[in-house]
Amino acid sequence: MGLPLFRAHDDPGPSFVAFAERQGLVRTGEAADVDVHATTVVALRYASGVVMVGDRQATGNYIASRDVRKIEAADHFTGLAISGSAARGIELLRLTQLSFEHYEKMTDSSLSLEGKANYLSPIIQRNNLSSPLLVLPLLAGWDHNAEQGRVFEYDGAGGCYERSDFATIGSGSPFADGALRLGYRADLDLESALELGALALYEAGDNDPATGGPDFVRRIFPMMVVIDAGGFRELSSDEVERRFQVISERRAESRGVAGGSLR
Amino acid sequence: MSNYFYVSPEQLTKDRAEFAQKGIARGRSIVGAIFDKGVVLVAENPSASLNKISEVYDRIAFAGVGKYNEFDRLREAGIRWADGTGYTYSRDDVDARALANYYAQYLGDMFTEGQKPLEVEILIAQLGGKLRPTKLYRIAYEGTISDEPHFVVLGGDAETIKERFAASAPELESLAATLRHAVAALAGPERTIPVSELEVGVLEDRGARRTFRRLRDDEVSGLLG
Repeated sequence: MGLPLFRAHDDPGPSFVAFAERQGLVRTGEAADVDVHATTVVALRYASGVVMVGDRQATGNYIASRDVRKIEAADHFTGLAISGSAARGIELLRLTQLSFEHYEKMTDSSLSLEGKANYLSPIIQRNNLSSPLLVLPLLAGWDHNAEQGRVFEYDGAGGCYERSDFATIGSGSPFADGALRLGYRADLDLESALELGALALYEAGDNDPATGGPDFVRRIFPMMVVIDAGGFRELSSDEVERRFQVISERRAESRGVAGGSLR
Repeated sequence: MSNYFYVSPEQLTKDRAEFAQKGIARGRSIVGAIFDKGVVLVAENPSASLNKISEVYDRIAFAGVGKYNEFDRLREAGIRWADGTGYTYSRDDVDARALANYYAQYLGDMFTEGQKPLEVEILIAQLGGKLRPTKLYRIAYEGTISDEPHFVVLGGDAETIKERFAASAPELESLAATLRHAVAALAGPERTIPVSELEVGVLEDRGARRTFRRLRDDEVSGLLG
């Protein structure tokens, strides 16, 4: 690639996608050969940020991988989770991370959280309208202007919707959603939010064959992420294990019955 | 009927060089220097928002003097090139030397073929790591590229500033000492530059992927002591 210089009237500006399309770096409309999907990721707001919890399993006709990372830091204050086609999802993650950094370097300022959420809409739309491999992301982050955590979900046509409480993506959503709907309160503190997020994922893993629950044999656990005014932070494997251990022991005591309350 | 006058290549080059030098000399200078843990870029810049120094990639920074619109366009092209290359191949494959060569070719082309030569000088700094050494590449308005071992001065007053800096900082020092000597060299004996008119960027390993950082005014005054 030569030095990409543009005239003022056709300059692609700080958008990496606009630039990459011009250069032919990004291709749309080609079907990839692997179609690995199914997932559960939840994002929920708490008093001073957002919590994201996601399973680690990639499922096709069999379990393709047990330690996929479906949540990544799109930048220091933004988490991005993917569901759907793994090939497309990972590409979307890479493109998004690069786009936010590109914007920051070109303009010497960060995009607003809403700007980041809106930026993804046309990318999702183009991908999903031109390819049979669907990908749906979930974006959550800390909004410096509003001084709060915010959660955005998308539909297949690229529509972006902000959620005031929580959002879920993937095939395990109905089960995770159920747990979140019953357990969610507007004033959750961090510890309760982590506990509820873990429980929602446990439920999804327990009921959805394509969602990986905590794997005590291999010691592979769902990813747990906190994003607050201090930025994106992933919980250590030990911290995650401890939380799932508690849920698992409670379930063992009641012989697998949730017990009519959020346990 | 139009008249064509013969102009010898020597004369043409001389005229163009004079034109470019005059344009560059109008702006303030920049010092880029390697210190014991990284690279520091110091610009005298009265504007707090129109930057002369910028991040390009994980371990690469850009500095430009001369006409703002001209070097800013080159800065943007550099970021696009770096992000595009890293996206196509790997982040490890983005090399400052390749970028410096592209700049050199472009500036060389504009000098000989353009309507007018670009009135800019560019510095591409690379922080060394496992794969590549720490480097300072200076690219002049006519496309001359040079690889400086310790420090680079860009701008109209380069020669004087160069002598002052070389005399005060003959070898690698700490960030604070390097910055102090760079600012003193930029200012000269009769002048002091207020901190608000300094733009300082640093490439330094701090455990993160991205190594570029702008120093805030209070950090700069702290380091200057």
